[in-house]
Amino acid sequence: MSCRNPGTQFYQEHISKVRVNAEAVLERAKQIQGQMNLKKHWQTAWLLKAITCIDLTTLAGDDTTSNVRRLCLKAIQPVRYDLLKKIDMHDKGITTAAVCVYPSRVADAVVLLKSATNSLPVASVATGFPAGQTPMEARLQEVRMAVADGATEIDVVINRTLALTGKWEAMYDELRQFREACGEAHMKTILAVGELGTFTNVYKASMVAMMAGSDFIKTSTGKEAVNATYAVAIVMARAIRNYYMCTGHKVGFKPAGGIRTAQESLIWLSLIKEELGNDWLSPHLFRLGASSLLSDIERQVYHNVTGQYAAYNELPMA
Amino acid sequence: MADSTNKSVYDIFLSMEKGPAQTSSTATAKAWLDHHSQALGLFINGKFVRPADRPSCLLLDSKGGSVCSIVCAVEDDISQCASSAVNGFKSWSSRTCYQRAQVLLKLVSILGMHGKCVSELCEASCSPSALVRLLQYYSSWAQLRDILITNWRPLGVVAVVASDDCSLYPLYCKVLPALAMGNSVIVVPGQCTAPAALLLAQLFTGAGLPSGALNVVTRSDFSLCAKVAQNPSISYVTYIGNKEDGVMLCKATAGMGVPVSVSPYIGALCPLIIFESADIDSAVDGVIDAAFKTKKEVHWVLFVQDSVLDSVVARLRLRMGGLKCVDLRHDADRALVETAVQEAEQQGAMVIQSCSAPPSGAVYPPTLLCGTAPSSPCVVWPSSGPLLPVMSFRSNTEAVTLANHSPHGKSVSIWTEDLTLALETAKNLSFGSVWVNCHSVSDPCLPVCGQKDSGNCTDGGQEGLYQFLKLPSSSSPLPRSSPLSMDYTKFGTGTFPVIIPEYSDQANASKSYLQFVGGKACKSVSGCSLSVQPPGGSGVLAYCPDGGRKDVRNAVEAAIKVQSGWIKKGPTAHAQSLYSLAKGLEAKRQDFVMSVSIQTGLSMDEAEKEVELSIARLSDWASYCDKIQGGTLPMPKSGSAYTLPEALGVVGVILPDKNPLLSMVTVLGAAIATGNAIVMVPSQKYPLPALDFIQVLQVSDLPAGLVNVISGGKDQLTVALANHSVIKAIWYWGSAEGCQYLQYTCTTPLKTLCLFCQNDEEEEKDWTHPSLLEEMWRNAVQWKSVWIPTA
Repeated sequence: MSCRNPGTQFYQEHISKVRVNAEAVLERAKQIQGQMNLKKHWQTAWLLKAITCIDLTTLAGDDTTSNVRRLCLKAIQPVRYDLLKKIDMHDKGITTAAVCVYPSRVADAVVLLKSATNSLPVASVATGFPAGQTPMEARLQEVRMAVADGATEIDVVINRTLALTGKWEAMYDELRQFREACGEAHMKTILAVGELGTFTNVYKASMVAMMAGSDFIKTSTGKEAVNATYAVAIVMARAIRNYYMCTGHKVGFKPAGGIRTAQESLIWLSLIKEELGNDWLSPHLFRLGASSLLSDIERQVYHNVTGQYAAYNELPMA
Repeated sequence: MADSTNKSVYDIFLSMEKGPAQTSSTATAKAWLDHHSQALGLFINGKFVRPADRPSCLLLDSKGGSVCSIVCAVEDDISQCASSAVNGFKSWSSRTCYQRAQVLLKLVSILGMHGKCVSELCEASCSPSALVRLLQYYSSWAQLRDILITNWRPLGVVAVVASDDCSLYPLYCKVLPALAMGNSVIVVPGQCTAPAALLLAQLFTGAGLPSGALNVVTRSDFSLCAKVAQNPSISYVTYIGNKEDGVMLCKATAGMGVPVSVSPYIGALCPLIIFESADIDSAVDGVIDAAFKTKKEVHWVLFVQDSVLDSVVARLRLRMGGLKCVDLRHDADRALVETAVQEAEQQGAMVIQSCSAPPSGAVYPPTLLCGTAPSSPCVVWPSSGPLLPVMSFRSNTEAVTLANHSPHGKSVSIWTEDLTLALETAKNLSFGSVWVNCHSVSDPCLPVCGQKDSGNCTDGGQEGLYQFLKLPSSSSPLPRSSPLSMDYTKFGTGTFPVIIPEYSDQANASKSYLQFVGGKACKSVSGCSLSVQPPGGSGVLAYCPDGGRKDVRNAVEAAIKVQSGWIKKGPTAHAQSLYSLAKGLEAKRQDFVMSVSIQTGLSMDEAEKEVELSIARLSDWASYCDKIQGGTLPMPKSGSAYTLPEALGVVGVILPDKNPLLSMVTVLGAAIATGNAIVMVPSQKYPLPALDFIQVLQVSDLPAGLVNVISGGKDQLTVALANHSVIKAIWYWGSAEGCQYLQYTCTTPLKTLCLFCQNDEEEEKDWTHPSLLEEMWRNAVQWKSVWIPTA
């Protein structure tokens, strides 16, 4: 991740005239889903690309060292070595993009990945995830501590209260402070789109997050009722595109929540290719936040390579 | 491409290509064609026939591979086909509505099995699901015909004709309603659509359609269509396709005594308007989606509001980055497209292309031509390639003016999130279909009625059914005949013998009448008069002005000036004005009884009756004013769709001889109740009641110029009406020669014609019958459909 998004001043005009036609966006989403038709090794290659974009995630109350350890090891070897070898991809550095955990588990993950001598980044959620309803000072402290523990990517949540009451500049100020607290660590801003009400708000929140210097904008925490939908992604991708046109900075995109099947991951890649172009098809600018997705992709790769459908117990669990 | 299949997973992983496009299988279609030995016959009387010694024509697919051969029908085939269609009509129309509906539904389930083959035969230009929707929609109309459209009956044998570039779906948008209403249909498809049309006819027969109800005649040359129209068994010809073939068909069928309507939708110029209040990103997606299709049937032109022009162009430039070159139809198109781009560049247009054009070949990159003007050649004569002219506008009203300022009126796409602006714009645009925040949406429930040069009939919706129906009371308007050999340039140039009256008695001197132009009673521009003879006798009853081309010009100028204001007044004001006409007539009742009686020779009782009916008729129309309405449409998608009946504009009328007063007020009422202005030419034989009516018009509150009355030589005035492009429709009662002249002449620009050949009093329209009112107002409006998708 070379060039980061430095952010800009708060420009009211980027968000004041925003109009989003919901039906047109939904039609576009349908159209993109209809176009998906990859066969054979095209599909395999795309699935492997999807794997390299996964933030392999566990965000549960019962996370302990042992399941975080399993997760990290799976992240390093997401697909069985023999399968990769058959398609000559075993030495191409196929790992997931990062692992994503709660702040208290960051230390566990960092230690483990260091001992495995792997440079896989550790991402931590922060700022009162998932609701963001904690005092500002506590949220900032959470970011600082996660960074101190070795997290190189911080997934912050926006303050929905500010978004829904239209206090965009206040939201910008908060995010600015988060960004400062992140320091060298990359900031991924979770918009919690399921709680923003309208596509117009999603667009505005995306713009504010980017102006405040987010390196990624992320759809959801995975804890809201509505998570990453293709329509929302189109709105966010347009915001990213327009921000790029205005400033020349490329901001990444991370859908998260409810992405479970290999087919869905292909549609996500296709959507990014259509809306943002090939530049965004890399872990620097695209992440899939998921926990159970990987096993489905691995089964599909298994099928593409061997022609057979794998039983779940044939593939190592995370 | 050869090595693309050998690419390693890693190569693809790095490049993230989507892989070669899936070549759709054509196995089922091929199997069906093989079964017919790649040579398809005509489909007549429920089976394929291959008469011996017919020339055949080889069809090629889009890649130049041979598909199959079709028979080029000759006149013998047409007469065989027509007699089969007559029998087909007998058995099909005698079935119950329920039975007809069932046949259409049966075809739905048959398409479930063979739809793939149909879609393969037309190279996926028509999806089986679209056909299924059409069938389901029209099967319910077949079922409800007698309940919802009471009294109307099928026409008989209908010929549905298409040009070569017309695909299967639009063709079937005409075939199915014709069948659903109980007509039998002869389809003359374009060459590429022929195999699919033949297969569908076969499947239809399998679904229980009686033999002869649907026949398919294939052709190589479009001129065959006129020969089909010539067959006396055919009651109605309807055409869909490009403009050139449509005009050719109209001219070739002039004088055959068969009504022909055309829907020249292919090649129409359609504006796409982006207002500053639009969701710009969605609009840009819409533009990319609409404008750069491989098989584009319409030409788009983009209008963008000044304030957002830069951001729209910047986004378009970015979005076009990923687009590949588009296939052109022919190698020859390449040169045409390149010339168009060069011309635009020379005129100062900024050219933006998705990638550079390859040195040769029938492909071209999607291209924006920014900064063109309405006068640019690429706008006036759009070329077939993936070119999109872009123009800017300053205000909302200017957008409407720019978009309307073209001979095309098929459809328009507007983009704004402002509801008021959307509805106002939709109302003011002279286009048949208005798509708000979307484009190219079609559904059988949405009527499509091209305005201006884009058509003279309505397809789709309930409104689209009436072209295939008639009222039992209306007699067949045109007698079948062979076209007269006539010199169109000489028509209406003859002069009339001047009769000099004998002024024996000064008191008895014949009265001189005036005509009515622009709200003023006046003499003709030429200053000449014509004598009006008494019924049956010789001598001179009165003199009326001998109007001509210039009188028509003045009248049309006055009419078009006030017509839009007349529409704005609204139905209540329209009704009041018509009531006041009725009252004015009532007040002069005795004068009119005299006038009718003296002019026509009817007894006073009969004349009294005609005046009575005329007063009632004007009241009928006054009451109709707020009853003629559109409605909301049941679209299968989420959103709001509605139709509006709109005035045609200025209507020209040559009035009949029969019932000179009653027919005149009936026609006048139909036109102005629906918002039109009218230029009427009274019967040359019996002009006096209409000229007397000018006194009633003068004291009414109608805007000056809305109603004009010009008397004079019928043929001369017919020519004058036909050659005024502002006149949108002509209703004509007159000679076969006049009908033929109008059919031949009113093609560019297209006018809506209602022709009635009057042959010596008998078998004429019964003006007293009330059912003719519905027929009349339906002829006086065009339908606009508006579709606003919402989530």
